[in-house]
Amino acid sequence: MKVRVVIVGRGYSDGSVYPESLALPEDATVEHALIELAALLPVESALSATCLVAVSGRHVGTIGRHDNTSLRDGDELVVLAPVAGG
Amino acid sequence: MTAELSSEELLRYSRQIGSGVLSREGQRQLKSSSALVTRAGGMGGPAALSLVMAGIGRVIIAHGGEMTVPDLNRQILGCEQLIGQPRAANFARYLRSMNKHVVVEAIDHEPDEAESAELARQVNIILSCPPTFEERMRLNRAALAAGVPLVDAAQWGAMGTLVVVQPGRTACLRCIYPSDPPFEEMFPVIGAISTTIGSLAALEAIKILSGMGRPLSGRMLMLDGHQGQVSLVDLRRDPRCPGCGDINREP
Repeated sequence: MKVRVVIVGRGYSDGSVYPESLALPEDATVEHALIELAALLPVESALSATCLVAVSGRHVGTIGRHDNTSLRDGDELVVLAPVAGG
Repeated sequence: MTAELSSEELLRYSRQIGSGVLSREGQRQLKSSSALVTRAGGMGGPAALSLVMAGIGRVIIAHGGEMTVPDLNRQILGCEQLIGQPRAANFARYLRSMNKHVVVEAIDHEPDEAESAELARQVNIILSCPPTFEERMRLNRAALAAGVPLVDAAQWGAMGTLVVVQPGRTACLRCIYPSDPPFEEMFPVIGAISTTIGSLAALEAIKILSGMGRPLSGRMLMLDGHQGQVSLVDLRRDPRCPGCGDINREP
């Protein structure tokens, strides 16, 4: 299956540092996708455990603590590196 | 009791009373409402300005320190003549000049835990626009304890996020961020995203206070201005949340 990837937030203003999509096995879960994503990101762009994770508009937790939801073809995986600027 | 609107006020707000905007009752409700905006810089400034212009009855702004040159790219309540001058008092003076019908109060520091809790009991809504998670969580606790809605606005670079917390009904900030992300003193930011997110925060407050439209309650809006992308996420409450896990209110 193919999952679209959106990484947004602190340090991720340049879309070129992350892939637009991930090719995953049919039984893939959020955990699979996050592991795959981590392997593709440069070391300096590693995602922290506090990042929010959502699947197709549904919040599933953070990288450090999330539901291991099953993914479906065409899902959108959103990862937010938290921002606090005021 | 809802405050009555004078003929002068009705004329002033005539473009925002009617189809697609506020009802007359909604405008009266704004006049009867109080809002706390902290801080009043890049996002809080335009948020406070929009609230004052919309006719919120009482707006309290909190912001310590003096205006600096790097503030000028986004802090629209300031100007070059205010460099080195205290922000809060001068920002409040400008806000008062924009609407004589609104009471504007200035607090020249960032409220601590006790003061945040006390302020939360005095207002109908809190707009959280500080630069640290520590302050955001303090305002989150104050809003939960007082049972008032919290609109949290945050930014980095050319992106921003907006969350509306309805205590006991939606996810709170601690549900979303179980631990505080790292603090960054000098975050990059472009003023256009500050004013955009600040204005959206004010719009959410106006909707909640007036009963207009459908607030973003329980959702996060992410606006990535750099990539031209908007994402909306339905936030889930954490039943084990140390902030709101034991608070429940009827919708």
